Amino acid sequence: MIKRSTCAAFAALLLGTAAFAPSAFADSMTMWVRSSGANAAAHLVDLWNSTHPDKIELTTIPDTQMVTKLATGVQAGEVPDLVSFDLIYMPDFMKAGFLEDLTAELKADPDFASVAKAYVDIATYQGKLYGAGFTPDVSILVWNKDLFKKAGLDPDKPPRTIGEIHEDAKKIRALGPDIYGFYFSGACPGCNIFTTSPMMVAAGSKILPANGNDDALTGDGVKEVLEQFKEMWNEGLIPKSAQADSGANFASIFKTGKIGIQGTGGFLLSELKHDAPNMSFGVTFLPGVKEGQVSSFVGGDVVAIPKGSKHLELAKAFIAWELTDEAQLEGLAKNNILPSRPELADNKYFAADPRVVVTAKAIGIGYVPWVYHFADMVNSDSSPWINMLQRAIFDGDVDGAITEARQKMKDIASE
Amino acid sequence: MSASTIASEIGALAPRRRRRAPPSTYLAVAACVAIMAIMAAPLMFSFFASIETATEASSAPHYLPQSFSLQNYLKVAGYQAGLATYVGNSTLVALMTIVACIALAAPAGYGLARFSTYGKEIAFLILLAPMMIPYQALLTPLYLDFAKFGLVDSRIGLAIIHTILQLPFSVYLMRNAFEAIPREIEEAAMIDGCTALRRLAYIFVPLAVPALVTVALFAFIASWNEFLGALVFMNRESSFTMPILLVSVRTGDHGAVDWGALQASIVLSIIPCLVVYLALQRYYISGLLSGAVK
Amino acid sequence: MRARRSSQLQGWLFTGPALLFVALFVLVPLGQLVDTSLTDRSLLGGGRFVGFDNYLRIWRDASFWRALAFTAQYTIVLTPILMGLGYALALLTFDNTPLKRLTRTIVFVPVIIGLSSSSLLWFWLLDEQVGLFNKLLVDLHILREPIVWFVSADLAFWAVVISITWKVVGFGMVLFVSGIQSINPDIIEAATMDGASYWSRVRLVILPLTRRIVLLTTLVSAIGSMLAFDQFYIMTSGAPRGQTFTAVYWIYQNSFVSFRLGYGSALSVVLTLVILVLSALQIALTARSEAA
Repeated sequence: MIKRSTCAAFAALLLGTAAFAPSAFADSMTMWVRSSGANAAAHLVDLWNSTHPDKIELTTIPDTQMVTKLATGVQAGEVPDLVSFDLIYMPDFMKAGFLEDLTAELKADPDFASVAKAYVDIATYQGKLYGAGFTPDVSILVWNKDLFKKAGLDPDKPPRTIGEIHEDAKKIRALGPDIYGFYFSGACPGCNIFTTSPMMVAAGSKILPANGNDDALTGDGVKEVLEQFKEMWNEGLIPKSAQADSGANFASIFKTGKIGIQGTGGFLLSELKHDAPNMSFGVTFLPGVKEGQVSSFVGGDVVAIPKGSKHLELAKAFIAWELTDEAQLEGLAKNNILPSRPELADNKYFAADPRVVVTAKAIGIGYVPWVYHFADMVNSDSSPWINMLQRAIFDGDVDGAITEARQKMKDIASE
Repeated sequence: MSASTIASEIGALAPRRRRRAPPSTYLAVAACVAIMAIMAAPLMFSFFASIETATEASSAPHYLPQSFSLQNYLKVAGYQAGLATYVGNSTLVALMTIVACIALAAPAGYGLARFSTYGKEIAFLILLAPMMIPYQALLTPLYLDFAKFGLVDSRIGLAIIHTILQLPFSVYLMRNAFEAIPREIEEAAMIDGCTALRRLAYIFVPLAVPALVTVALFAFIASWNEFLGALVFMNRESSFTMPILLVSVRTGDHGAVDWGALQASIVLSIIPCLVVYLALQRYYISGLLSGAVK
Repeated sequence: MRARRSSQLQGWLFTGPALLFVALFVLVPLGQLVDTSLTDRSLLGGGRFVGFDNYLRIWRDASFWRALAFTAQYTIVLTPILMGLGYALALLTFDNTPLKRLTRTIVFVPVIIGLSSSSLLWFWLLDEQVGLFNKLLVDLHILREPIVWFVSADLAFWAVVISITWKVVGFGMVLFVSGIQSINPDIIEAATMDGASYWSRVRLVILPLTRRIVLLTTLVSAIGSMLAFDQFYIMTSGAPRGQTFTAVYWIYQNSFVSFRLGYGSALSVVLTLVILVLSALQIALTARSEAA
C-alpha cells in the first residue's frame, strides 16, 4: 500500500511540474545509458513511460565512449536530462562538477535509506550526494554441480576459501583433458577487478588508493590470492586461452560445461539458465582466504543528472521514482534484474530460484573502490592492475608484481 | 588517353600474350584461382556464420553452416533504433559527403591543374594537409566549435567531418584527371570565347566523369564506414550510423561477444559498399587510370 | 599582363572554396589544438596555461616513444609487404582477360569494406574459441595445435599485419595495374622483340616506367600506417600490457581514457610534425626521381 500512496504523491508532483512547464502539456526527457546497462534501463524506462505523462527517450552509448561523450557534452552544453553510467566514474564526474547536487532530495527519501551502501559511498563527494543506484550488477562465484558430482565432490558444498577453490579445481581437472577446474579472463582488467579483487578484499586487503598519500594493495589478501591463481595456472587447472582472453569469453566459457568454478557476474545468470538449460550450477559469494570471509564487487550503473539538464525537476522525480518498491520490483526484479535495495532480495519474482536471491544479497555485502582515474589504475590495457595480475600469475613473480603495481597506482593517484 | 583506347590496346595485347606463353598461362590461371579463394574466404565464412543460429555461431569453429536461421539478422534488424534508421542516416550523410567532395574538389582540381597562380604548390599542400593530421585529435576542438553552431548531433555536421577526411584524395584525383585532358581541347574552347567556368562545366567535367565517379565512390565508402566521428558527434540513437551499430552489437556485457549478430551486422555493413563498387567498377578503374597514374 | 592577373584571380576563385573549407575545419581546430597543448586541460574541463610542460613531459614519456617505435615498426614491416604483394598481383593480373579482371575485382573487395568491419571480422577469425583461422591452419597441417593470437605482442602484431594485408593489398594492386596499363604497349613489344625475358622486361621496362606511381602509393600507404588506430583499437586494445599501442592510440588513450586533453593535444602536435617531416622527405624524394 506504500506503493500506491507514493504513486499518488508522484502523480501530484508531476501534475505540479507540468503546470509550471511553459511549453507543452507533457514533456519529453532524454536519457543516455551505456550499452552494458541498456537492457535493464529500458525495462525501467518503459515502465515509467507507461505510467507517466512525461516520456523518456533512451539513447544507448557504447561503453567505451560514454565518458568522452558526457565530458564533451557538458562542456558544449549538449547534455541529456538524465544519464546512466558505470558507477566507477562517479568520483571523476563529481569532482569535475558535471552533476547536479541531489543531497536534499535523496536524504529526505525513505527509499534511499535502504539503498546498498556501496552505491551511497560511490555517489558521495565532500558530504554531498550526486546520484543513486540504478541498474546494479554484482560479482558472484558459480560452480558446476555436474562436474562436482563427477569429481566426487559434494555438489551442494561450494568452496569457502580460495584454498578450497584450488583443491576442488584439481579434482575437476582430473576428469578429462578438456575439463578445467577454474577460469578467469587473464587479459581483461575489468573482469578481474570485478571477480578477483573481491577475494582479496574479503581477506582484508585494500586494493586502490584514493589519493597519493593513501595505501594501495595492503594486507596479505592480495598476495595469497595471486599465489593461488599462479599455482592453479602452473598446474594447468586453467585453460591456456585464459592468458589472452580480454573478456570475449568471460561470459560464454562457463556455458560450455567444461569449467568447474568461475567468478562471474549476476547479470549472466538468466543468460546461463537460458543457454545451458541442462547444466546444474550453484551461486555463492566470492570467498576470501579464511572461511567466513566473503565480498563482492558492486558494479553496474548509477543514475545522475548532468549540469545543464533542461528538465531538472522532472529528472529528480524520475530518480525518486526508480527507488520505489514499484520500480525496483515491477521494473527490475520482474525482468530478472537485481534491485539496488538489497532488502528487496526476497521477493515473489526471485522466490523460484534461490541463486538469484543469493546474488541480490551480494549487493548488500559488496564494495566499490572510490578513486579518481579508475581507467588508468584498472581498466586501461596497460594499467598497473592488469600488469600485476599477468606478471604474478603468468610470469610467476608475485612479490615483484605487487611492489611495482603499488608504486604505479600511487603515482596515478597523486596526479 | 581515354578508357576505351586503353581497353582496345589491352584487348590487342592480351591475345598476343596468350599465344606466346601457354605454360605460364596455366600457372597464372592457377594463381588467380588460389588468390580469389584466399581473398573471398573470410567474407564467405562470415556470411555462413551469420545465417546460423546464434548458438551455432558461438560454438567451436566449422567451415560450413551447421544450421539455417535468420535469427541473427532479426536481432540486428530490431537493434535499438532499428536497422532502417541507421541505414537511412548513413545513406544521407554519405550522399551529402559525395556532393560536398565533388563541389569542392572539382573546381579546386581545375584551378590547380589549369591556372598558374603564385603559391599554387602551397595551396595544393594545404589541401592535402588533412591527410597528415591524426583526425582523432581534431575531434574535440571540432566538437566544441560545432556545438556553437548547432552542428552537433546533425547529419550535416557529420557530413562535414567526412568531407574533411575525403577531400585531400578527391582534390588530388581531380587535379590529375584535369591535367590529363589535352590542352588543345581547352584552347579551342578559349578561342570560341568560353569563360573558365563554362570550360569547367562543359568540357572538363564531362571528360572527367570517370574520375568524378571515383571521387564519389570513395567518398561513399569512407563516409559509410567512418566510426569515431559518428560516435563522438551523434547524440541520439535516431541519428546514429551503421558503424556505431556494428561496434554496439559487438560490445556486450563485460566484453562478451554475440558472434552471430556480429557477423550479421558485418555482412549488412558490407553489402551497400559491395553493390556500389560492383555497379560502378568500370568507371572507377578508368577514373583511377586518368587520376592516379599521371 | 592583364590576362595573367585575371588568370591568377580565376585560379584562386576555383581553389578558394576548398581552401576555405580546409582552413575552417582543419587549420582552425589545429590552432585550437596547439593552444590546448599549452594547458593542463582535462577532458572533464578546466585547464591552466602551463607553457611547454606537456612537451617536456613527452620527452620523458617512455610509453609514447615505445608506441611511436611500435608504429614505425608496423609501418616498416607492412609497407613493403603491401607494395611487394600489390605489385606482384598487378603483374599477374594487368592484362584484361575475364579471369584476371575477376581476380582484380575480388582482390579489391576488402578495400571497400570498412576498417571496423574488417577488423571485427578478423577479430572473429582469429579468436581461439570460435575462430576459423586456427582450424584452417591446423587442418592444412601448417600448425600442430591452435595458437592464441592475442597472447603476445609479437603474435598480435602479425595478426594485425595479416588482416591489414588482406584488407588493403588490392589498393596498391589497382594503382599499379593502372600504371602498367598506361605504359605504351609498343615499348614492351619492342623489348620482347629484342629477346628480353619476362623478368628482364619487368625489371628493365615495367618497373622503371611505373616508378612514380609506386613512390606515390608507398607514401600514401606509409602515412596511413603511421596513423593506424582502428585496427589495433578493435583487435588488440593495446594488449598485452600496452605493447601494441600505436602513436595515435596512445594519443587517444591519454586524451579520452585518462582525460589528459592538454597532454594528448601536445602528443598530437608532435605526431603531426613527425608525419609532416616524413611526407616532406618523401615528396622531395619523389621530385628528385622525377627530375632524374
